[in-house]
Amino acid sequence: MRGGRHAGVRLALTAAVTFSLFTSLLFGFIYWRTAVVELRRVDNGVERDARALAESTPEGLLRSIRIRMAADFHRITFAAVLDADGRPLEGNLERLPPGLTVDGQAHRTEMAVPGAGTEDVVMVGRRLTDGRLLVLGRSIDSLANLHAALIRALELAILPAVLLSLVAGAVMSRPLQSQIRAIQLATRRIIQGDLSGRLALSGSGDQFDRLASSVNFMLDEIARLLHQAQSTADNIAHDLRTPLTRVRTHLERGRAPGKTHADLQEAVDRAIVGLDQALRVITALLRIGHVERGHRRANFVAVDLGTVVTEIADLFEPFAEEKGLRLRVDIAAPASIHGDRDLLCEAVANLVDNAVKFTPSGGTVTLGLHRRDGVPVIVVADTGPGIPVEERAAVMGRFYRSDMSRQVEGCGLGLSLVDAIVTLHGFRLAIGDGHPGCVVEMACAAAPVRALDPAASH
Amino acid sequence: MSFVPAAGDKGEAKPAATAAGPEIRILLIEDDGEIAEEIIDDLTDRGYEVIHVADGVQGLERARGGDLSLLIVDRLLPGLDGLAILETLRREKVPTPALVLSALGDVDDRVSGLKAGGDDYLAKPFAFVELAARIEALLRRPVLGRETVLRVGPLELDLVDRTVFRAGRAIELLPREFKLLEYLMRRPGQVMTRAMLLGDVWNYRFVTVTNLVDVHIGKLRRKIDGPDEPQMIHTIRGAGFMLSAPQ
Repeated sequence: MRGGRHAGVRLALTAAVTFSLFTSLLFGFIYWRTAVVELRRVDNGVERDARALAESTPEGLLRSIRIRMAADFHRITFAAVLDADGRPLEGNLERLPPGLTVDGQAHRTEMAVPGAGTEDVVMVGRRLTDGRLLVLGRSIDSLANLHAALIRALELAILPAVLLSLVAGAVMSRPLQSQIRAIQLATRRIIQGDLSGRLALSGSGDQFDRLASSVNFMLDEIARLLHQAQSTADNIAHDLRTPLTRVRTHLERGRAPGKTHADLQEAVDRAIVGLDQALRVITALLRIGHVERGHRRANFVAVDLGTVVTEIADLFEPFAEEKGLRLRVDIAAPASIHGDRDLLCEAVANLVDNAVKFTPSGGTVTLGLHRRDGVPVIVVADTGPGIPVEERAAVMGRFYRSDMSRQVEGCGLGLSLVDAIVTLHGFRLAIGDGHPGCVVEMACAAAPVRALDPAASH
Repeated sequence: MSFVPAAGDKGEAKPAATAAGPEIRILLIEDDGEIAEEIIDDLTDRGYEVIHVADGVQGLERARGGDLSLLIVDRLLPGLDGLAILETLRREKVPTPALVLSALGDVDDRVSGLKAGGDDYLAKPFAFVELAARIEALLRRPVLGRETVLRVGPLELDLVDRTVFRAGRAIELLPREFKLLEYLMRRPGQVMTRAMLLGDVWNYRFVTVTNLVDVHIGKLRRKIDGPDEPQMIHTIRGAGFMLSAPQ
């Protein structure tokens, strides 16, 4: 809540400051235009006039001055011709204004005006060729008045502008605050244990929607992992309880009265088989965990996939033959990749093992190495019953067994291990349909780490 | 599977390890008292003399003492780590073969165990037959001589011509069968477990539930042991396989 309010206040303040700054800049620009540019225009005008008058005839000059005096109703023009000693010959100035340099350039000076104090004047003094002095001036008091008016206007405008932007900021931040409050309420519910809760989307696709959909995606992942962890724990418990129950039964019956030494030995043997099964589950889980934590990249070397495929086929061929299956090897494109040879062998062996186990007698298991889009792909295809589309994702989860696989020996962790090995390498595993049978493809190109982007996964 | 094969055990070939002489002395460095006790019992039953030390520092000291045929070293020990013991011994040129035990049981650990100077590696929990077979393999190094023809009883394997004869009968073998037979013939009379065969012949360090090795051995046996000939490739129940000359 406090975060939301702070954000609202901050937004309003930011708007106000921005607004004031912008207003000041605008006024500054107007001021600059009038103060500097107008003044320069006046300077240039007076200088130009003085230059033009200096070139006219002595009589023409005096006449021009007189005309100016006559036409100047507002008394803003000063003009005079003085003799070489500074005595006035014509015009409305009695003498050379004190401090004015006679160089033909415009200078700012103050003139005393009877009854009105002083006024700002732009003045040019110029010596004519016959030694007389020409003085021209123009009052810029009206310009100064304009400056004063502008600054007053700025002072008057800035306060309402700030107030207005504060109000605007507050109004604009209200939906922001309510969106933040909604997110807070939703997350609080989730924190309290309701993992099914999700953030509402406004549908506008704005930043809040994008943030909310990222959070929702994260929640989906957390829920999925949590569910997976829970069902994994259940499955571990179940898969351990079954053999351990058997062990207990065997041992208990072995020590019952009237049993012979041979009976006891047999009971112990059977108990050991049960314990081995339980230990296998534990070992497999530890191995998967170890591979998943990715400690093994240190063992990565160049691995010839063709050799891996050939060797695994060699290892499994008699096994397939015994089941009445044909094991076909199809190396279309030899390839070498960077990886862990032992783990890759184990992954491929697991896939082939599954294929051989699930394919009925008379069928074919094909172990291939192809290249698609420049990426080496290991393909294990069989002519068995295949995996239904809806089960394909689940088979890689821990302990997943389809109903039909219950009769087949195994701890239900084989594909999880394959998945962990594939993930460690950054490869991709895909289960498809062989029409008939199952096709498992391992694309052996290191892919970038999966990003937590909702768009990428849905 | 720690039970000792009882006399007249269904006529199965007896693991040769039971015939080990009393002069074979093994140093066991293991801190878990209960496991140590079972190992000592089992190895004593198999005819070995076992010295047990529970601590790493004392273990190293005893191992330096010599007059030992084999070391069994647990990886995680109080005082001094098992791998550190081996590294020290190898630096000091103590050649006694060593078997590393570990509860971690990952391929990484196996690699680091062998790198430190171990000769073999066994992950806990293990079957005692596996331990016994590996001890036997370490004590009786395989026949790796320069001869190009291996002979076990009537069986003859020519490494150069890639031919196999049993009492004059030529036997056609696939390359993988030839490799498996060669491995067994270099270790006659020794029990080889499935894990050892998978690791040594095929170089696979993973455990499969599938009886792959049994199938390979079965195929080889059908070619080696004719219907009227005495068996040479034996299945040792609960342990593995063994090739030996017919009695």
